[in-house]
This record gives sequence, C-alpha cells and structure tokens, in this order.
Amino acid sequence: MSTFTVNGVQRTTNEKKSLLRYLRDDLHLTSIKDGCSQGACGACTVIIDGVTCKSCVPTTDRLDGKTIVTVEGLSDWEKELYTYAYGEAGAVQCGFCIPGMVMCTKALLDQNPNPTEDEIKYALRNNYCRCTGYVKIIAAVKLAAKIKAAGAIPEASTTDWHVGNRVHRLDVAEKVLGYGQYPDDIYPEDTTYAGALRSKYARARVLSIDTSKAKALPGVVAVLTAEDIPGENMIGHLKHDQYTLVPVGELTHYLGDAVALVVAESMAIVEKAKKLIKVEYEVLPAVHSIEEAKAPGAPLVFETDKSNVQAHEHISRGNAREAIANAPHVITHHFETPWTEHAFLEPEACAAYLDEDGDVFIYSTDQSAHQTLHECQLLLGTKKVKVQNALVGGGFGGKEDMTVQHLAALAVYHTHRPVKMNLTRAESLLVHPKRHHFVMDFTMGCDNDGKILGVRAVCESDTGAYASLGGPVLQRACTHAAGPYAYENFEIEGTAYYTNNPPAGAFRGFGVTQTCFATESLLNMMAEKIGISPWEIRYRNAIRPWGVLPNGQIVDDSTGLVETLEAVKPYYDEAVAAGKPVGIGCAMKNAGVGVGIPDTGRVKLLIEKDQKVHIYSGASCIGQGLGTVLVQNVVEYTGLNRDDIVYERSNTWYAPDSGTTSGSRQTLVTGEACIRACRLLKEALDSGKTLADLVGQEFYGEYLAKTDPLGANVPNPVSHVAYGYATQVCILNKKTGKVEQMIAAHDVGKAVNPLSCEGQIEGGVVMSMGYALREDYPIDENCKPLEKYGSLGLFRAHEIPEIKAIVVDKPGLNVAGGAIGIGEITSIPTAPAITEAYYQWDGQRRYSLPISGTPYKK
Amino acid sequence: MAVKKKFPYKAAVVACNGGCRASKTPDAKCVYGCIGCEQCVIACKFGAIHINDLGVAEVDEEKCIACGKCATYCPQNLIHIHECANYIVVKCSNHDKGKDARAVCEVSCIGCGMCEKVCTAGAIHVVNNVAVIDDSKCLSCGMCAVNCPRGAIIDTRGVLTGKY
Repeated sequence: MSTFTVNGVQRTTNEKKSLLRYLRDDLHLTSIKDGCSQGACGACTVIIDGVTCKSCVPTTDRLDGKTIVTVEGLSDWEKELYTYAYGEAGAVQCGFCIPGMVMCTKALLDQNPNPTEDEIKYALRNNYCRCTGYVKIIAAVKLAAKIKAAGAIPEASTTDWHVGNRVHRLDVAEKVLGYGQYPDDIYPEDTTYAGALRSKYARARVLSIDTSKAKALPGVVAVLTAEDIPGENMIGHLKHDQYTLVPVGELTHYLGDAVALVVAESMAIVEKAKKLIKVEYEVLPAVHSIEEAKAPGAPLVFETDKSNVQAHEHISRGNAREAIANAPHVITHHFETPWTEHAFLEPEACAAYLDEDGDVFIYSTDQSAHQTLHECQLLLGTKKVKVQNALVGGGFGGKEDMTVQHLAALAVYHTHRPVKMNLTRAESLLVHPKRHHFVMDFTMGCDNDGKILGVRAVCESDTGAYASLGGPVLQRACTHAAGPYAYENFEIEGTAYYTNNPPAGAFRGFGVTQTCFATESLLNMMAEKIGISPWEIRYRNAIRPWGVLPNGQIVDDSTGLVETLEAVKPYYDEAVAAGKPVGIGCAMKNAGVGVGIPDTGRVKLLIEKDQKVHIYSGASCIGQGLGTVLVQNVVEYTGLNRDDIVYERSNTWYAPDSGTTSGSRQTLVTGEACIRACRLLKEALDSGKTLADLVGQEFYGEYLAKTDPLGANVPNPVSHVAYGYATQVCILNKKTGKVEQMIAAHDVGKAVNPLSCEGQIEGGVVMSMGYALREDYPIDENCKPLEKYGSLGLFRAHEIPEIKAIVVDKPGLNVAGGAIGIGEITSIPTAPAITEAYYQWDGQRRYSLPISGTPYKK
Repeated sequence: MAVKKKFPYKAAVVACNGGCRASKTPDAKCVYGCIGCEQCVIACKFGAIHINDLGVAEVDEEKCIACGKCATYCPQNLIHIHECANYIVVKCSNHDKGKDARAVCEVSCIGCGMCEKVCTAGAIHVVNNVAVIDDSKCLSCGMCAVNCPRGAIIDTRGVLTGKY
C-alpha cells in the first residue's frame, strides 16, 4: 500500500502501476500527456517533492509519503500567470508538451525566481518540443519570472484581432492548463481497448491465423482478422494499396502491417491476447534498399507489379544537356539525405463509439478528418461514420495517413462498444510514414558571372512498403529541385522505389528538403569556383517578380526572395567581416497542392443560438494555428469583435471538406474560403442586420485554387497559386564549432499573425538543425527501425542557438489577403546553410546528411 | 554557495554506493569500492567531500567546483566529474562479472544490462561489467534507476530512489 498526496488530496493505492497511468487512468488528470511512456519526451512531467519527474518513470509503490503536483493543482494565480506568459510569448503550438513545460517552469521559478537564460534552458532540457524550437517557451519562462516578481498580470500586448496582430492563440488556456482534449484524453464510459498484432516479418506470406486461444482469454471482447472486414480491406491515402488486416494467403509489406486486431477490457489483456494468436508465415526475402529494389530479379514488394518502381517523374524544360555542355563552369556531385522520423509529441490515438444515430463516431488526431471519413466508410462499407478532430499533438505530415482510426472504427463496428486505440511510441516509430531517404546526382552549369545556365539531375527515393504520398513527394522534389532561381534549362528524372522498409510519405518540406540540399550545396560550390560569395550568387540568380521560373511559371508581385536575401545581408556581412564561418541557403515552397489537382477550401460561418459566428471548416489545426488565423480573418473581413466568434474544430458532418493540412495550404486555401464567406456575412451585417437577426443562417465560402497540370500545353503553366520564399543563414562559433546563430528570413506575403509566423520559423529551423546535424532513422537487416524516441537525435532546449526569425511581408498575392503558407519552407534551406557554414569552418565539403565532423554527435 | 561556480554546474561523484556495507558475507570485500582512506577529503580545498556514515566518500555538490583533484588522489579511481543537472548517477565501480560483484555487495552493479534495455536515449551502457552514463545523452528520466534490480543507480535528489 502506498499513500501520497496529489494536488493537495491524500491518495492511497494498492495497485502497482506507473504514476502516469495512475494519474491519467485512475484520477483522470489528463494534463499529464502520455507521449512515450519511456522517460524520453517529458510530456508527463509532474512535480514530486518540489522537483520535476517524468511520471511514466516511478511506480506508485515508490511514492509513499511523496507530494505530487500537476498542472491541475496549480493555484489560480499560477494558472493565470502561465496561461498569460505562454500566450504572450507565443509558446503554444500543438500544445502536447506544454503542461510538462509548465511544470518545469514552476519547479524552476519556485527555486530560482530570477533564472538566467542558461538556467531556463537546463530546466527545460529533459523535455522535448517538436513544434516551437523552444525559443518561445524559453521566452515564456523569462516572462513568467518577470511577472511573478512583479506580482500582477499585465494586459496582453495586443487584443486587436485584426489581421497582422500578434494576438495570443485562441487555444492557449486549454493547452497550458491541460484541459483541452486530445483523443487519448477522452475516456468513454465502458470503453474497451484495442491493439494490433503486427507482422513478425517484413516480407512474408501469411499462411494461417489462429485466434481461438486469444478469443478464449477472459476479458477479450473480439479478435478480428481480414475476414471480419465488411468493406474494402485495402485502403490508403491516395492509392488503396495497404491491407487494414493482412489476409491469409497474402504478403506482408513491412513490420508495421497489422495481421489481427484485439479488442479487450484492458490494455494488459490486449497485450496478453496478442501473444496467444498463432500466425504461420512463409518467410520471404525482403527488399532493404533502393539498390536491392532496382536490381534485376529483385523480389517484388507488390507481387502483381512488374517492378519495384512506385513512381517516376521526368521533367524537362529548355535544353539542360546542351546548356551544361556549353557552360564555362560545371560541377557534378552525388548527395544523400536520410530517413527522418516526425517525432511529433503525441503518438497516434483515437477514441471511437457508436453514437445516437448508430454511426461509428471517431475522435481523431489527424491532418484531415474528411480523408479519415472516406477511408473508414470504404473499410466498413457504410456511410454511417462521423469523424471529429480532437486537438492534434503535432503532425508535420506524419498524420496524413491513417494508423489507428480505421482499426478503431472496425472494432466499434463489430463490438458496438466504445474503444480507445493508441499506438505505443515504439509502434508509432514503426508504423506511420517517414521522410524519404533520397540519393541524388546533380550537375550545374554556370557562366563566368555565376548565372545558372542549366541543371540536370537524377534522384531516387526509398518509398518503403506502400505508396502513401511517395508519388507527390517525388514530384515536388523534382519540380522544386531547380530552386528559386531564374533560368531556362532544367531537367530531372526521379524514381521512387518500393522496399520492405516502413513506408515513407509526407514530411514538412515534402521532398524539397531533400533536393534543395543538393541544389543549394552545388550553388555554394559554384560560388567558390567562380569567386563570388554564396550570397552574391543567389542574389544574381534570384527569381524576381514577373520573372520565369525553370518550370515556366511567371511569378507575381508577391515574389520576395530578393527581400529575404536583403533582410539577412547585414547579419551575413557582419559575420563574414568578423571572420566567422557562415553558410547560406535559399528555398521556395508552394502553398497549395497545385499542378492541376483540384484543391478546394471550404468554410461555413454559422450564426448559432448564442448569437455568435461559429467557424466550421473541415481543415485540421495540427498546432500551426489555423483556428487563430481564421478568427483573425473573420474579425478583419466582417468587422465583428473577437468575442462574437467561435472556432470549431474540424468535423465531417457539418464542417465542409477543406482538404488535408498539407502543402502549406490552409492559411491560403482555407483562408481565402473563409474571407469569401466573410464577405457574404458582411453584406448581411451591412444591410442593417445584427447577429441576433441572423441566428440560424449560414454563410458559405469556397475557393478553388486553380492550377495547370504538369506538362500542360501552355507556354507558362501556373503550377502553384503561390510560393513562399526564404533565405537562412547559419553562423558558427569558430572556436567551438557549434551553431551560434541562425537567421531565417521568410517571405510570407502577409503575416496574419506574425507571432505565429515566428513560431513556425523557429520550430522549422530547429527541426532541420536535427535533420542537418544529427537525426537519423537507421533500419536493420530485418527492416526494423532501431532508434527509440530519446535516441533519434532531436535537438534539446540547451542545444539551440540564437534564432533570429525575420518575417517579410510582401503584398501581391490577390487571394487570402495576400497570406502565403509558411508551414514547410521553414525547414527547407536550413540544412544547406548549415553544411556551407561547416565547410567555411574546416574546409571539408559534406554531401550527405546528417553531416559528420561537427560537435553535434549523436 | 560558498564558491562562485560557472553554469552549467559540474561536480565530482563517487561511484560507490557504500562499499561492502550491505554485504551478507562479513568477510567479503569489494576491491573496487571506496575504502574510506580520506585521500580525497585531504585533497579537497573546498571542504566539499567527506566520509559519510557508511564509511564512503560523499560529495557536497553545493561546495564542489569540479576541479577533479579528489579524482586524481583516489587510489581506487572511482571518482569522476558529472553534470549536476544529470541527477541520475551510477554509484558502483565493480568491474567483476555479475556473480562476483553480487557476492561482495548488495548494491553492486552486476552488469545485467537492464539499464541499457530501458534507456530510451541510448545514454547508459555496461562497460567492463559496470554501467556508465553518457552525460551528453542522458535525459535524466531515471528509468534506469527505477529498473535497476540492484539499486546501483540513484537519483541524487532522492525522489525516484533513495539518496544512497
């Protein structure tokens, strides 16, 4: 028996379990997030006897006599203090790490009311954040210290919700205080738990599945296999190629394939039952790499295919071959980039049940509720499904594909009982699609002034076990490989290969993170060869308004690459003059899906009985701040007050499908749809009606971002409605070789909320510092990923350099109030900038990420 | 604080949990453990190290400036410098195989590798039969400490484990 105090209340328990499970499952203190249960992430941090502890570590039997505090146990003053400080600093994005960070803040300030920046970083360093890059969390702690000392909470720096203002995000309080619900925070009454038995081998034929012993285990509610699927077994984000449950007689594709689904009264019983399922396999040779996939006679990942080629792109404009042949300066090199894990803080989770309409109702954490709906409807062979987005604890592309939602839906369909299905962190690392590993050969030809004459390239990607978004990622890698420069001769050939590795798919940057590394590195080498600075070669080649991109698109007035180059110049020049090793990289990234694919934003503004405007859009806010963007748009374009507006999370029965949160598209595409709905509402208001008069009325806005398909027979195709541009600079400390400062200037058209923009930039930069310097995702000979969450190499709070985020506003885009999405580009130019800085440091060129020979050892 | 120290603070740690204090066999002696010789105590100019009730050297992290002098004077070579922010430490230096290490002390590291298995950060490894933590990787979660079957890894704050 163990007796301890939780938030001032004495508790006694006889059961030995982790403190995390006790606080969540027994006391339902859901501010304590389960991000890994391995001691890595810190999302479950609590204060025990005045110091921080990750609550997944100690078991209840060790806690006799201890005093435990969670966010729920803070005083009202503290709650107000941390909500204000985190909101004012812009420290909250997806929010999953935040209650843990708040606990670290409190523990620090209770002991040290006036901490230095280093002390703050150390107080936070055992907790990971994947969204913010820690910059604004550190600022929040500083601010909290200041306010705590002053003893009174000031007014917010702005309460003006018009576009362009740095308002606190609308979901700060629920995320800081932990009462906002992610799917795992929903505990339906009488819930069951589900877990999947995954394939033992990456490539094998399932010969038989015997579930009889598992079914007989007391507490097991159902054990489901392929035969229990009423509709289509095969689903997938674009191509329906992935078995929900692998049937007898069919091939497994990777170790994450589910063979059977266990539904039971507790997770312990689920795990026990999984061990009782007998599966016979015929083990077959697996495909481990691009090399193996393309070898003659290679085993086929999809046995009905003729080869392991998943997608192929050939893009050519002008005559790159001839241009390079005639160029006075030519450089050719081979480049490689690694697999990367998204490492969002919230592992995949969902809760589902049968609602009063008899529909399967799914609380989901994903990047498109409507996509989840369509796939679940297909799987169940019924339209009777609803999906509601709960809070989403980070996505970065990794939550575009379904992982648990369909399995939970299947469980509810059969058992008619509520179910919770979560991936363990180990499963999450295995199951969801990763960033593609790329190998690339690039050749660039330039004239004596450093003007690019032509680029030719061949790239190959390992797209793993399933198509996922491998095709579009390859395509974007190819279309953007030319870089944000004005030249006419460009040719690239790209091939994505299936292997039996975990699938690869969408990841912030969407293929451009890979090819940009090659192009920008070549440009740095070329600058040296020609004898001009890496800044100068970019400035000379930069695309300018009404110039023509190598894809033929004529760019508009909003094109701000030059402005980003000019914005970093003083910092660049100063560092060069000071003799510091400096590197630079540029990038462009589309906002919106583009290339002729229908891409529609839809928003409904409904005036509800509370006489407020409720914003409904089937567009996921995954931590990037879409809700705040839409509310600011409504204030701007209707003239209503913030208090008259309610943002509703995405659902599938009332909120219209507004596409996946992908391709940096929501601020632009859904933003424009929102503005169109606002215009209609404004008309009604201008006609003399009040919100009270309009109760029950709906105002609908729709925007189709129209583009031309690749290879369209027009002289200057519009591939994308907008591009964001960026320049990033990396400055090293010459002595230590560590990154001293990152300067990131981003052209965003119009910053709806500059505070949020900065947060995106800082987070993207730190994420890609990991990509450039340390993170990888090794896979062993059994196609099994080796790393745990804590050993991925993610950057920690005490390791980040000073990050200077520069938001460049440049009007010219005639939709969405001029706002261009910023989600992905923040991560793109970082790696080549860092790589160049290290070349300046030690004279070694590096062609493979993560780069070696730096102080950032894994 | 008695002396001015530079952040992030470092301090000496004595990698012995109390020598043979817990041995059931009175004659058994751990040849690797602290012998209470006081060489470190004499060497320390700051009064930051003393012999505790268990007869082993113990560092006062508030006073220690991590000069490392104690480590050079220790005839058993079991004192090293660690980052104070990493409050999870291995308190054993017994390099013998598990069976022998077990025989001489009840809180010895037996090199079983449980810590390695539960560490999410790849920060702890059994080297020469004794667990060693890599400060640069450690996330100070204490998973190794709570799972160590021998109590050889401790939380110096005394929360996840006893202080000794």
